[in-house]
Amino acid sequence: MKNIVVIGGGPSGMEASAQLHKMGYNVILVEKSPALGGHLAKWDRLFPQGVHAGNILEGMISNINGVKYFLNANVQSINALGKSYNVILDNGITVLADAVLFATGFDLFKAEKKEEYGYGIYEHVITNADLENWFRTKNDQRIVENPKRIGFVHCVGSRDEKAGNRYCSKVCCATAVKQACEIKQEFPGAEVFCFYMDLRMFGRGYEDLYLSAQKEYGVRFIRGRVSEVAENINKELVVKAEDTLSGKPLKVTIDLLVLMSGMQNCSAGVKVAGQIGVAGMENDGFFETKDSIYSLQQALKPGVFFAGACTGPKTLPDSLHEARAAALAIHTYLQARDHQ
Amino acid sequence: MGKFGFALSPSSRINLDTLDNVKFAHLIEIEPDVLKCMACGSCTASCTAGKFVKTSMRSAILALQNGRNEEAISLLKSCLLCGKCTMVCPRAINTRHLIISILKVYQ
Amino acid sequence: MRERIAGGYDNFVLPFMIGMTFIFIYLFIALIRLFAHIPPKDRIKFFKSLVNPKILYMNCRDILMDCLLHVKIFKRNLLLGYMHASIAFGWFMLIVVGHIEMWLYVPQRNGLLYYPVFFRYFVKQEGDLTLKGAFFFFLMDFFLLMVLSGVGLAMYKRFRSTAMGMRRTTKPCFADRVALACLWSIFPLRLLAESFTAGIAGGSFLTKPMYWLFANFLSDDTHILPTWWAYSTALGLFFLALPFSRYMHIPTEAFLILLRNAGLKVTKPRKGFAEAEIYSCSSCGICIDACPMNIQKKNLPFSSVYFIRFLRRHNTRKINQISDKCLMCGKCVALCPVGIESCGIKRAQRGTLYNSIKHDYSYLAAAHHTPAGAPEILPDNITPAAMMGTATAVAAPATEKVLYFAGCMTHLTTSIIKNLTEIFESSGTEYVFADKDGGVCCGRPLILAGREDAAKEVIAKNTELIRSSGCKKVVLSCPICLKVLREEYNLKGIELVHHTQFINTLLSQGKIKVAKGAGSMVYHNPCELGRGCGIYREPLNVLEQLGELKRAAKEGKESICCGGSLGSLTLSYEDRGKITQGSLAALTVNNPERIVTACPLCLKTFSDKSDRPVVDIAQIVNENICSVR
Repeated sequence: MKNIVVIGGGPSGMEASAQLHKMGYNVILVEKSPALGGHLAKWDRLFPQGVHAGNILEGMISNINGVKYFLNANVQSINALGKSYNVILDNGITVLADAVLFATGFDLFKAEKKEEYGYGIYEHVITNADLENWFRTKNDQRIVENPKRIGFVHCVGSRDEKAGNRYCSKVCCATAVKQACEIKQEFPGAEVFCFYMDLRMFGRGYEDLYLSAQKEYGVRFIRGRVSEVAENINKELVVKAEDTLSGKPLKVTIDLLVLMSGMQNCSAGVKVAGQIGVAGMENDGFFETKDSIYSLQQALKPGVFFAGACTGPKTLPDSLHEARAAALAIHTYLQARDHQ
Repeated sequence: MGKFGFALSPSSRINLDTLDNVKFAHLIEIEPDVLKCMACGSCTASCTAGKFVKTSMRSAILALQNGRNEEAISLLKSCLLCGKCTMVCPRAINTRHLIISILKVYQ
Repeated sequence: MRERIAGGYDNFVLPFMIGMTFIFIYLFIALIRLFAHIPPKDRIKFFKSLVNPKILYMNCRDILMDCLLHVKIFKRNLLLGYMHASIAFGWFMLIVVGHIEMWLYVPQRNGLLYYPVFFRYFVKQEGDLTLKGAFFFFLMDFFLLMVLSGVGLAMYKRFRSTAMGMRRTTKPCFADRVALACLWSIFPLRLLAESFTAGIAGGSFLTKPMYWLFANFLSDDTHILPTWWAYSTALGLFFLALPFSRYMHIPTEAFLILLRNAGLKVTKPRKGFAEAEIYSCSSCGICIDACPMNIQKKNLPFSSVYFIRFLRRHNTRKINQISDKCLMCGKCVALCPVGIESCGIKRAQRGTLYNSIKHDYSYLAAAHHTPAGAPEILPDNITPAAMMGTATAVAAPATEKVLYFAGCMTHLTTSIIKNLTEIFESSGTEYVFADKDGGVCCGRPLILAGREDAAKEVIAKNTELIRSSGCKKVVLSCPICLKVLREEYNLKGIELVHHTQFINTLLSQGKIKVAKGAGSMVYHNPCELGRGCGIYREPLNVLEQLGELKRAAKEGKESICCGGSLGSLTLSYEDRGKITQGSLAALTVNNPERIVTACPLCLKTFSDKSDRPVVDIAQIVNENICSVR
């Protein structure tokens, strides 16, 4: 039986593992954290319809029945051995893998790097992930009882040369609009502002989400990037931006600011991949695929494959498609290799 | 028969057909950065001079693209060159030098 | 000892005399031209300085230490220092001792320029050597050996510059090569010439053995005269090439010291004081390694040494290119053995390009100060003129409070404001926030861009703001502001301190107490704080009380610019990024947990690229305050 090592136990890693297992391969899934699910496990609801993340995750976990997986496990070393890869985990397990799938996903941009927004400095500045956590647990000291005004800053660490990330993180606009609606459900009396550069509501049902944010929730969309945030004596936040549509600088005092942290290639994944000469691209840090249209699951090295956000920002459905495509690509590769 | 119908008021519409962009082409030559602006407004929002009087790098670039050179100058002549806009620009435009160049080319 | 050649003349002195005459005329005209370009006020200042005993003493000291002994280079690298000092001081002493010999033995030839130079050719030793004679022979040989050892090192340096602490050296131009060839041959030729005549004119430990050595296989004396000819020719050619080569620094440097000690400054980028600086450059190339831009090889031609070379050649395109690109971090100035203020020249050059740009700061007149200190624009119905009147009328009475002037950039680094205001509160310092909601720029960015006239209006406005507060102490977070407030503002009676100094004082007065719990860290000295304002000790003093302070590869006045400097006008973001990475690499050689700095611009620039946390000194202090008052 052929061994396939899948690195990363997030949605795409789990989905690919499940598919490969069904095809009859011996799949070893490696997850560095104590639980499966990746970022999905930390999310409350998903755009555009607000499906509960927990339900989706449950389904996925039941789907990987039979797959060998290791939690709290890291790839200690990986090196090419003929056409295979010798993978040694830090829990002592060694696997000679016929194929390796990187489903290492993304890291959220560290919002404290944009110091002008005051994350980690001011009391009432949180990130998109913090807000999802609050939706799930209702436990966060930074969120005041009845906020009168709430702001969302799009593109934090995305489309930003200074942050080192020139690209658009793709999902933050939809997430912001979703979260804006949700927080309005929590605090119907609050005014909600979204500061955006360009609203990228590209998928099915996203425009409807945008429309309902405007019509049903009265979210105010301001076209302008927040340039700086100050804290006043009452610990309220004074946000400065330009309302580019009216061409006037704008100032608003709010009680809670949510920063939409973007995606970056997972640094732990980059370290592992580096050992077999698979590197992030210079322009965005995500892994380089064989081409940009047709072979998105293949790395430049034979036997190495990708699924999910390690090759660029993706929505959850995108990542799941890629996971299935990767499973098929691995299958095709191994069959062709046997024929030779 | 002469012209018939409503005449266009020249000030209310940007007419790209009659735009003279020789100067702008010259500006692009010395400051290719001018093309990089994505109009996020960070420069205007953080502007030190903008607190007192309308000052806007973003609007000035737009004005130049639309042939409104006078307007562009009036948006930049109050600039103190403090460099905050350079620091906040997400496209890493060298705004300070761009402002100097615009003032030199168009004044 | 008496004269051997009747008339005290031989044709071989001609090349030397031609060279010498040329250089004297050249220097005389250059001096007149230079004085013509110095503003009349400065000219008077200069002549007055020549009779001021204190300045006179400084002049003598500086000329001895800098021009002859090259103490600054010694401090940098012993071998390199010895190389420069041995040639300069040795040569100088040869001239001095040569003259003394002439005065003692052939006083009738006093005034003949060439005589002491070729002394050994013209004299003859009589009878037994007196003690006095032996002493001078010894001195002459000793200093000749000293110069020769320096020349030897210089030749070695051409091939292996790293041995003298220089990774890169200057590329010599044609005139440099000619002068260099002459300089290298002058002293070996002198040794040969004096050795050949040592049988007649006498010699000491160097020339005498050489004479005996040559006497073994050279039978007659026909080679004596040609060698003296060669020596004279080398000298003459050297003087002819001098004004066009780097060695012009030899006569100019001493003159520059006089001008500088008289308190003169650069007014024009190419003339007057600047010209003295330009010709004082010895092209030693220390500034090449110093320049942070040279982390990328492509930037080597933008080093200060080439800037000055282009100035000498009037290559305007290159001059502008370099002056626009320079970060103005001041490291080349700090390390320059001659102390050439190349940043000042670059600023003056920018002035020629940008000072004429029209601006409109009339809105400043309409800005007034709210009680909180923040200037705001007036309602439309109040005229600026009316406001000006009231602005001076509402000047607050003198107060014990300190005025906090954050500066534009600090509003982008919220941690500094947050932590510092908390420190104010912990220490019981009452303060007024001058620019809580944003202020007026300090004017330094305008000055750096060569727009001094525009800066004056801004400076006037801020001076009015600071004076009207009634505060006697201003605390600043931005070293850029601090430098300009200290140098260009008229704020007599008001103490201006950076927050590092302020915190240091709080600690020494016991107004705050800190625990040593900050872990390991390295301190980055911002250009404008260290080299700009001379503040080195206070931040280190504060940090030593907080945790383990690790060393950086380059520290103190050699600290490397973060790359974010407002000084550069044209450097691209990508190139700045390379400088940032280079600077970070130098900071983290000893793997500190955190990088501490004291400038909002450095903090912001480093944070974007650093692999470990970068914090301001105010933050690390505030985190570790354990008890107050």
